[in-house]
Parts: sequence; structure tokens; C-alpha cells
Amino acid sequence: MKISVNTEIAITYLTSRKKQTFVASMGVMFGISMFIFMQSLMKGTNDYFEKSSFNSTPHIRLYSENKVADTHMLNSFLKDSSTKILTNPKQLTQSQGLTDPYGIIRLINRDPRVLYVTPQVTANVIYTSGSVQITGTVAGVNIVQEDKMFDVQGNMISGDLHDLDRVNNGLLIGKGIADKLSLHVGDNITVNGGSGSTQIMRVIGIYASGVKQVDETKSYANIVQAQNIMGKDRSYVTDIKINLKDYMAADVVARKLEMLTGYKAEDWVAANEQLKTAFKIRAIILNSVIGVILLVAGFGIYNILNMTIYEKMKEIAILKAIGFSGGSVTSIFLQQAIYIGLTGGIIGIIFGFLMSFGLSHVYIGSNTPMGTLKYFPMSFYLPHYIEAIIFGVLTTVAAGYFPARKAAKVDPVNIIRG
Amino acid sequence: MADIALHASGINKYFHDPVTQQILKNITMDVTKGEFVSIVGKSGCGKSTLLYVLSTMDTDYEGEIGINGEIATGKSLNKLAAIRNESIGFVFQFHYLLPDFSCLKNVMIPGLRLGKYSHKELEERAYEKLKMFGVAEQALKTANKLSGGQQQRVAIARALINDPAIIMGDEPTGNLDSKNTGIVFDLFQKLSKEFGQTIITVTHDEDFAKRSDRIIEMADGQITDHGR
Repeated sequence: MKISVNTEIAITYLTSRKKQTFVASMGVMFGISMFIFMQSLMKGTNDYFEKSSFNSTPHIRLYSENKVADTHMLNSFLKDSSTKILTNPKQLTQSQGLTDPYGIIRLINRDPRVLYVTPQVTANVIYTSGSVQITGTVAGVNIVQEDKMFDVQGNMISGDLHDLDRVNNGLLIGKGIADKLSLHVGDNITVNGGSGSTQIMRVIGIYASGVKQVDETKSYANIVQAQNIMGKDRSYVTDIKINLKDYMAADVVARKLEMLTGYKAEDWVAANEQLKTAFKIRAIILNSVIGVILLVAGFGIYNILNMTIYEKMKEIAILKAIGFSGGSVTSIFLQQAIYIGLTGGIIGIIFGFLMSFGLSHVYIGSNTPMGTLKYFPMSFYLPHYIEAIIFGVLTTVAAGYFPARKAAKVDPVNIIRG
Repeated sequence: MADIALHASGINKYFHDPVTQQILKNITMDVTKGEFVSIVGKSGCGKSTLLYVLSTMDTDYEGEIGINGEIATGKSLNKLAAIRNESIGFVFQFHYLLPDFSCLKNVMIPGLRLGKYSHKELEERAYEKLKMFGVAEQALKTANKLSGGQQQRVAIARALINDPAIIMGDEPTGNLDSKNTGIVFDLFQKLSKEFGQTIITVTHDEDFAKRSDRIIEMADGQITDHGR
């Protein structure tokens, strides 16, 4: 391999000042490894929160929303198309239930992007045990499908969730409810659905999702049981929950379902607005910290190269005297910056990976508010590493460019003649 | 005119700091190929300034300079650097070797820049030059480990690596004892006589000047005697 003379000189300068080169590389290394470490931690955390939000939120939830009356409805009712003006339109009183829910489910299932569809009956209830009453909701579900979508099994503390299908009047309650009402598996609990019918149910299991608010209010029942609590018939369904093969497509699919069914389809992004905001803020904090680190590393390189150039003023003059053009001199010093950036970057990547890898094996206990988190959530995402190298080299090139330009402008006559 | 190595006509140069002052006044001169010319004069007469103008390193002058029949005046800095690389070899009062490199590398660097020879050929050529000057044993030492005389000989070897048409010296023996001065002079003479290289040196050393082919005398920015 033929190395150009500029490269040869640049490398000799770097290797004859090992300590300075080392310090400059360490600056870049530190910046890059922090970049990787923090990106991995942030993406890991974000992924974790995103995933844990899918433990309770489906990708899309289809439900009936109260509507304001409009002329369109009037037209379809009167079956004509004359222009009508509605003054002071009111909210329509609609049933919470969806019309023909199983027809809608069949329709949704036809979309190839859909993975799971499951109906749910949500009932607002009052739990009573002894003299204590608390309010909450009962989700009437098909527990097998529910488990597939939200991993209910993973949250089970005691009991068997399949007893919901086997035990008459079975109820799977949250840990918060169990604590408040001092209930254990096998105990009875009174559930009042508000529309008059009071049911005595049996606790068949206790779960803990990790979200306190959920654990203190929500319990699962068989869908038929929930319909009974509400005093409704077998076709009464309040929500249809949909999981997709690719959750990033939720937005598009939700819009299409709204068009098809006329009901409100809420995607997970809309349901977790606060999560997205948190992601954004964290990204801003992280990027400014990394920016500062790289800036400091950049100034380090700038300083070292500047000093080198002052020290080597005579040598630069000589190089120019023996026929090196300004461009060659720039290249010599810019290459030094690039090599510092590359070595620092590569070591930084290795170090950043090791730090991330190390932290991903640090046990932080299962007893966190998030429930199932045992180790630091770290992601190992290739684009972070590529970005890191690009940022590292860009910073060093920017830092090296100005000293290198200065070196190119050295006037050999002034220096040699003193 | 084919045997003219260097031609200068109507050279004027001014220094502007602290006050504008004319340093070179309407200098016209020719140097024939293979000639060994010494430029002498009192300190401040402008002889070094003239040399740097002739060398193409200083571009702030009026008049015209031709090197090997090619006009250098008005060329871009990059083009001038290429001309220096190929056609001009420099020897300064101080050796100005690059201290981080071995002597051999120092000699090779202008050749590597020119890129006419392969790395291996250049290494052989550099060794030859060093041998010619009796410093081949020092080839792999870094430049700052050598004595003053040895350093200057390495510097001359560096000036010769590309077989330049013109060798310019700014007091090349100014820092040397009489023994080393003798060695350097003999080398210069050998180069001009045997290899037909043109040599232009600025010197204070009268003995050195007297033994060269021609002496150009300068006073107050003008040539007072062309020596022929």
C-alpha cells in the first residue's frame, strides 16, 4: 500500500508526541463512549416504557364516542339530500355499546396488518367486601386472547387466570384491590354494576401490572359475566381492542377503521401522549449533554493542534520552502485531527459498548414501581454506533480545520529569516 | 538563452514596516547554468532579501523572474511550491531538519513530495547522497542527535535529492567551523563542476566567496559589481 507523504508526516507527528495524541484521543473517546452509553440507556428506557405501555394499552382501541348531532344524520334519517340547518345541536345519547360488534371484528380481521382483535365489556362497578367499598372497573374479556395481547400471565401473583373460563362468577383482581379489601384467592367479593344487579363473585387470581392506578381499580372477568353485571345482552361490547403486526402503523390503521366503522379508533400514540412528550424531553436533555461533551473534546483537539502548529512553525516554513503547497500543509494537520478522531472514536465505541453491556447486567431489583424491570434496560442499536463515529470525526475535523488553515498560511520567508 | 538558469530583471522591493523603505533597487541579473555564484555585501544591503525573491518564496516584489527559462512571476502559490520542489534546492544558515524524522527520511521528504521515484528508489538515492557527504552512518538517527557539521551536510543532501537545477544557499557555512566550511565548499564546487548544477549563495565569508566562480557585490539594494 502506498501512503502519501502527507499522511506519513502526519502520522510521524502524532507518534512522536504520544502523550498529547493520547490525551486528545481520550477527549474524543470520552465523548463518544458517553454518547453511546447515554443513547443506549435512553433508547433502552424508551423501548421499555413503550413496551410496558402495551401491557395495558392495545395498539388501537375502538369505542363509541358521544357525538354531536349533524345534518348528515338528519339526511340519512329523512332519506333525502336537501340542505338543512341545525341550530344549537346537542350531544346524542348513544348506547356505550357498539352496534354489531362481531360483524366489526370480522371486518377488522380482514385487514392483513392486524394481529389480534378482541372484544371487551368495560363496566364501572363498586367492589364491596365486608363494610369496605371501593370503586373500580371490571373488564369483561376473553382471557385467552387478552393473555396473548397483554401477557396477563406475566403479571399473575397467585391463582390461575384460566379459571376465569372455568369458574362461574370468577374474578381476577388487582393487587391493590386485594390489599385494600384484604382478599385472597378463593374469597368472595360483591360487585355492583350500578344498574341494579349485584353479583357475588369469587376471587380466582390476583395480578400486579406495576401501574398502581390499574392494580387498585381494574379486575378481569369473563365477558359474559361483565355483561351480566351491566344487565346487558350477549351482543353488548363496549371496546374492541386491536394489536397490529407493526405498532408503528397504528396511526394509519386507526384512521382507516374510523372510516370503516364510524366509531372512534384511538391509537396508542394518542393514548400515551405524555409518554411521547417524556421521550422528546429526554432526547433534548441527552443531546445537549452529548453536544457539550463533544464540544469540549473538540476544543481540546483545537488547542493541541494550535499549540503543535506554533511549535512547528519553523518546520512548516521548511516544508513550504522545499515545495509543499498550502494544501499539503493543511492536509498534514487535518489528517492528524482525523486520526485523533478515528482512534478516539473507535476506542470510544468499544468502551461505550462495554459500559452499556456492563450496566445491562446490573440488577436493580424486581420491586420497582414498574413491576417486572430487573436489569437496566439498555438497547444495542447499530445506528447509534455509526452516528457516534460520524459525530466524532465531524467534531475533530471541525476542530482541526482552523489550525490547519492557519498552518497553510504560514509565510516561509518571515519564519526562516526570523 | 538556453544556458541561463536564472534570470531577474528590474527587481524592486519595499519594506513597509515601520516606514516604507526600498530594499532592492532595479536589480537585473543572469546566472548561467553550472555557474557557482556568491553574492556578497554588508549586512542590510539586501542580499538575503534578493535571494528569497529569487527563490520564489517571497512574492511581494516588482519585476520579473525566470527560472530555467520559465517565468515564475505571477504564478499561483501552489505552482511556485511545485517549482521549488522540482527545480530549487535550499541550504540555510541553520540546518532546519525536521527533528521528528530520521536523517534518511528528512532527505527523502522532498523526493516523496515530487513523486518521481518510488519509495525504494528514493531510499537508495538518499543513501547515495548521504554517503557522498560522509554521513551515511547517521542515516537512521534523528536529526537532533547529529553534530552541527553533520546536520548541515544532511540538509545539503536534502536540497539535492530531486537533482534541482539551482541550489540556493543563505549563508550555508555561517554556523560551521573552518573544517566543515571546507567540506561544504568542496561539495558545492563538485556539484557545479561535475554535475552542472547552478549554485547561488549569499555569504559573509570572503574566502568562500573568493573561491567561487563569480562574485556579485551589493550595496544599498543595488548590484555594484556583477563580477564579470
